[in-house]
Amino acid sequence: MDARTRILARVRRALRERPKALLPEHPHLLPKEDPLALFLDRLRENGAEGHLLDEEGARALLQGFPGAAFGRGVPEAFRLLPELPPEEAPLGVSWALFAVAETGSVALSGEDGRKAQLLPPTHLVLVEAKRVYGTLLEALQDLNGLPSALGLHSGPSKSADIGQVMVKGVHGPGRLIVAVLL
Amino acid sequence: MRVALFITCLADQFYAEAGVAAVRLLRALGVEVDFPEGQTCCGQPAFNAGHWDEARPLAKRTLEVFEEAEYVVLPSGSCASMVKNHYPELLPGNREALAMAEKTYELSQFLVRVLGVEKLGEGLKGRKVAYHHGCHALRELGVREEPLLLLQNAGAEVLPWEAWEECCGFGGLFSVKLPEVSLAMADRKLATLPEAEVLTSTDAGCLLHLSGRMGKKGLGLRVAPLATLLWEAYAG
Amino acid sequence: MRAKAKLYPKEAARLLREKPGVREAVTGATLHFERNRLKAYAEVPIEEWRERAKAVKDHVLTHLDHYLELAERRLRENGVQVHWAETPEDAHRVLREVVHRRGVKRAVKAKSMLTEELGVNPLLESLGVEVYETDLGEYLIQLLGEPPSHIVGPAIHLSLGEIQKLFHARFGTPLDASPEALAQVARRVLREAFLSAELGLSGANFLVAETGTLALMENEGNIRLSTSLPKVHVAFVGIEKLLPRFADLALFLPLTARAATGQRLATFVSLIQGPAREGEEGPEEVHVVLVDHGRTALLHDLEAWETLRCLRCGACLNACPVYRQTGGHPYGYVYSGPIGAVLDPGLLTLEEAYPLPYASTLCGACYEACPVKIPIPRLLLTWRHRAAEEGLTPSWEHGAMRAFRKVMESPALYRLFSKGLRGLPLPQDLLPLLKAWTEGRGPLRPSPKPFHELWKEVADGR
Repeated sequence: MDARTRILARVRRALRERPKALLPEHPHLLPKEDPLALFLDRLRENGAEGHLLDEEGARALLQGFPGAAFGRGVPEAFRLLPELPPEEAPLGVSWALFAVAETGSVALSGEDGRKAQLLPPTHLVLVEAKRVYGTLLEALQDLNGLPSALGLHSGPSKSADIGQVMVKGVHGPGRLIVAVLL
Repeated sequence: MRVALFITCLADQFYAEAGVAAVRLLRALGVEVDFPEGQTCCGQPAFNAGHWDEARPLAKRTLEVFEEAEYVVLPSGSCASMVKNHYPELLPGNREALAMAEKTYELSQFLVRVLGVEKLGEGLKGRKVAYHHGCHALRELGVREEPLLLLQNAGAEVLPWEAWEECCGFGGLFSVKLPEVSLAMADRKLATLPEAEVLTSTDAGCLLHLSGRMGKKGLGLRVAPLATLLWEAYAG
Repeated sequence: MRAKAKLYPKEAARLLREKPGVREAVTGATLHFERNRLKAYAEVPIEEWRERAKAVKDHVLTHLDHYLELAERRLRENGVQVHWAETPEDAHRVLREVVHRRGVKRAVKAKSMLTEELGVNPLLESLGVEVYETDLGEYLIQLLGEPPSHIVGPAIHLSLGEIQKLFHARFGTPLDASPEALAQVARRVLREAFLSAELGLSGANFLVAETGTLALMENEGNIRLSTSLPKVHVAFVGIEKLLPRFADLALFLPLTARAATGQRLATFVSLIQGPAREGEEGPEEVHVVLVDHGRTALLHDLEAWETLRCLRCGACLNACPVYRQTGGHPYGYVYSGPIGAVLDPGLLTLEEAYPLPYASTLCGACYEACPVKIPIPRLLLTWRHRAAEEGLTPSWEHGAMRAFRKVMESPALYRLFSKGLRGLPLPQDLLPLLKAWTEGRGPLRPSPKPFHELWKEVADGR
């Protein structure tokens, strides 16, 4: 007998005559009143920067960076910097699948390219206003077809492991900027 | 109304005055007080240490001693919780255990929730009190507001104390099985103690441990069981 | 990992004596975590969350065979290679195969308590693989050769000064280097490791059966990097980590974050469905090792099975005034603090973990903190009871408890004892207890007369 068979057999033996617990339904949450405002608030509280912008405004955010690594889903209109490899780029630009207001998070697909999301010291995420959900539950229930890897980013990389002092930019980007596109 | 006082072994031996105070207070509030003479210990030290076979006979005899009582009142949150929460576990299916659990109260809990008394008098006017929440009173019995209400309504100033809900490190047999950890916990508690005139709590064990440690460290604060202060609240 | 739980009382005492700085560092850090947790709990209907989370976990555990098979099927459909491990050796075999086949020289590892249980690092080192712990705290203790002292903050027992000294000796940074500067040094070293490692290792916070999703939570980005850059990712997952539905993550991710660090969500959450698809960046191979290592035995235990709900958030450690005095090292096994005290006897044996259930005053703070309502105080009592039944408690304790019962069973003996306290000889069996008490607290000072004598006066005087 292999490990699988033995483990499953022991689980079944343990559960024989055990009362079974019911699976509760997901809660029915009231929609958030103003998810956009909440999203921007929560992002700030998480130590990220959030902006509500039109296309022009978002393009302006990119100015000042000498180059960037771009996610595959970033539309042409925002690829106005020289493209650099993620290992060297001072900025990574990503296109988010969606955002969640209550946690201040953006959701990034592996399909968009993971390196641009993780390696540069600054990460700029573009997300359409209509893709901002009030709650995580709505967002997850709405998701069709999962990517190979889905990353939820809610702020800058940080750690308090050295003497309980909060330090940013430990491994991932130390700066997270989110542009919500109107 | 008639109450049987369960003094508990620790208070009997080390805080006898708390028993006297409890009797006087209850009588002053119009309650008749009995003291069933067969009482000894509720069995908690043995129960908490895992020696349930030693605890069980003590629980059973305690049930017999208090069988006739209308209410059982203890000047101890921990022993009250032993009776209320753990007797039914220790003696599964025992009806007397459930009956005793129903009628047992820690003193301040009895005053506020059964007698409906919230003000005893003004005998503590201006007194600065540090209140230690005994863990079992607080988390097992849910006695949080009652002692504070009675102290404050008698004019006492209950001082803010960052660590007031933290365990003092007594823990029954814990205090002698892991004495270094137990003392470190007392030290943390005492290091945050506010500048009070008196330190009080529902529980004799905590007070015995803390006052012993205070003596060792040369801290000269008065330590008094809650029952004693509540009598002072009434009598001035 | 070899358990040294038996030494807990000695090690706790030694640590308090010899390293007072640990108590200070751990107290400061845990109280900070604890304040954040309380604030985060207060912001949501936490009782409802805890009840729901408990119910979902209980459902999974009482249908575990079903969900394990479903998860395996979904993982395979996602292109993940699934392995089962009863023992550390089973898990080692999977790693050995990967290391040899892929020619692994370097591995980057995300913090995982399960890999501590399995002894993954020593195994890889014996195969000539260079292993980098990439969580900053975990990296610090790897440099020091120490085990983690906390589930979430493995290095919380270290002061800034100790870390400055460590980095000075290791990397030549100034002795007064700022935490930012030290973190940048670690970032450089580990970035190099991320970019060159052939193997990424992780645990998992959750495994969703419905979709075969691995969920991992972190704040630094090291888990995302460890699971994204190397060509092979191996995740070790305890069989109790399952969740039924993808949408259950909407409860468990925020709940765990609030309990662990007081955050609304961990800064980075990785939801992994398998290897990189055509043309994508990411690992070519993803392996999931489903690990038993004592968990089915716990499931069999009609009381202790509730510990399998544990989310490894560390909230009970932060809430525990006993843990706070020493941190996790004296507990002598992977899991310390209140959850360790009830989990370790189940994962090891009670004999091996004997003293741990006694490392508590039964204050109940752990239960209030626990996001899945594990009745830790009740389980501590259960394990203590079993220890006494199995004769694991020391003989002096047995003697003392028997003497105590005999005295308390008889009002006459109790009265005699009462006189003993006031000058007459006490039963011999109780003397070691008395000595352990008086050393730190001075002599016992009984009331001049016990209450049962005063009662007569009060009764007469009315």
